[in-house]
Amino acid sequence: MSDASMLAVVKMDGELDISRRAEIRAALAIDGQPAGVLVDFAEVTYADSSAISELLRFRADLGRRGLAVALLIKSPQFKRLLEYAGVSDAFAVFDERADALTYLGSARR
Amino acid sequence: MDSGKPASRAALTFRSFLVPVLILVLVVPILLGGGYVVSRVLRHSFNNSDARRAARTLNFTLLKDQLDEETGVRGYTSIPDARFLEPYDVARADFPGKAALLRKRLAFLDIPGTQATLDDAVAANKEWLARVAAPLLAAPRRKEASFLQFRGKALIDRFRTDSQRLDDALVARESGDNRATQDAIDNVSTLVLFAVTLIVIIAAASSVAQNRLATRLEAERRRAESEARANLELRTAFETEKRIADTLQSAFAQRPLPVVPTLSFSATYIPASDEAKVGGDWYDAVELPKGRVLFSLGDVEGHGIEAAVNMSRARQALISAALIDPDPAQVLRRVNAQLLSSGRMATAVAGYADASSYEFVYATAGHPPPLLLLPGRAPVLLECGGLPLGVIEDCAYRTRRVQAVPGAVLVLYTDGAVEHSRNVIEGEALLMQAARTALENNQRDLAASIRTEIFGRHPVGDDVAILTIGFAAGETTRMTFAADSTQGAVVSRLTGARPPDERARLGAVA
Repeated sequence: MSDASMLAVVKMDGELDISRRAEIRAALAIDGQPAGVLVDFAEVTYADSSAISELLRFRADLGRRGLAVALLIKSPQFKRLLEYAGVSDAFAVFDERADALTYLGSARR
Repeated sequence: MDSGKPASRAALTFRSFLVPVLILVLVVPILLGGGYVVSRVLRHSFNNSDARRAARTLNFTLLKDQLDEETGVRGYTSIPDARFLEPYDVARADFPGKAALLRKRLAFLDIPGTQATLDDAVAANKEWLARVAAPLLAAPRRKEASFLQFRGKALIDRFRTDSQRLDDALVARESGDNRATQDAIDNVSTLVLFAVTLIVIIAAASSVAQNRLATRLEAERRRAESEARANLELRTAFETEKRIADTLQSAFAQRPLPVVPTLSFSATYIPASDEAKVGGDWYDAVELPKGRVLFSLGDVEGHGIEAAVNMSRARQALISAALIDPDPAQVLRRVNAQLLSSGRMATAVAGYADASSYEFVYATAGHPPPLLLLPGRAPVLLECGGLPLGVIEDCAYRTRRVQAVPGAVLVLYTDGAVEHSRNVIEGEALLMQAARTALENNQRDLAASIRTEIFGRHPVGDDVAILTIGFAAGETTRMTFAADSTQGAVVSRLTGARPPDERARLGAVA
């Protein structure tokens, strides 16, 4: 997966709640023009609406820059929150890292 | 701050006691000791002075006695008449006693060498008496009289020298004593000067320290005052903001629910127990033409006045949009466009209940799913989705239609109702259980009952708003649930993916 080296990867873990909002925002600030962005939240165990809010702002920003994003999520309750937010309309959401990378690889072509 | 001040006051009191104590401890012993030493020196000096004076007098008396003896002997030798011998007799009788007295005085004065000098003088006297006076008195006209007189003169000179030497020693001692006294007095002066300087230094240092302490206390007092003032201002500002937010919140949230024959409403709003988290939850139900009742419920991101103001905007925008075109997806699209400028995210569910067709028509924007209660069925979470409002331009929302029946109830809620345990999946299960229990208990105020079922009397961390819209039950329709029905069935599983406008027909009662 040599192409993956061209991807920007954002990885966070633990509980993403309002107390970590600034941290989430900083992590999601992507500079330059990578081939795509993998947001790896596989080890996030909890997220609240402030995390959703930051993800959506991030998505709006990347949309303007024409970047492909894949979101890797495993926590069931986080997924459920994303369903509330209709985030599947805005993000490609994946359970498996390999699928996410495949998606980013194909999105680039 | 308050705990520091009394301690400093104690320090002030302590220091005010410190000065007299220091003076007592340092200065008084110096003065007492100095006074004792001086008085001893002076007393010693006075005693010595008496002894010296007496010794000098005795010394002169002895010299006079010696000379009287010599005078008597010389007179008697030239004219041997007993009358010429008189001074000799008197002086001779007087001499030993006076010599003994002088010896005692000299012993008292303890001047080195004086005892020996006195011994020599006494010896000279004795020798003169024995070897000059006695032979001359025995034979005044003897041949060797002039030889004896020469010998006598030598002895008398010796006596005179001793006497002079004694007097010199006594005078020297006197000036020595005077010098010692002078020294003692000088020392005492120095001591007193030292003590006075010490007192002045202690007093000055203490005064400086007192001033410094007083200045510090004053500064502390001012700082405490300004802190208290700042705290008060802060609290006042906070209370004002809280009051305004509460006022806005209650004014917005407690709009009277419509009274429509075929529909029943209930609503509840619990502000967050943490005052700072009182936020932007709202609900509305407004009667529209053609037997429809608009409902909306949502949550604006953030807390406090700003959230309340944004909430008010979102809510008014919803009602205005619904009056132009009641289609829920269109309503949310318009509101999304309006809220983009605020930069605040909001989630909402909006729609209407149609009393003539027993339909619920709704759309959601980033909001938890509505809960549908149908008689004889398990509670069902309806479909949700759609991006939150105010974040992304040109969002499309989806209108969903649910066919209900008399007795059906739609429960709308904000995320506080399911996110209290930090696990929405558990939260949803608890909400469904609570709704079912509340409905079975046939509560008039369904929203409040659901709230009580979920939270009991516990305070809630986040704001919670619940709105229920129910179609009036027919005479025979009772709200009961099938005992074996599975909770948590999601409507999408029953309906599958369908075009937005296709009705999800769920209302068929067995």
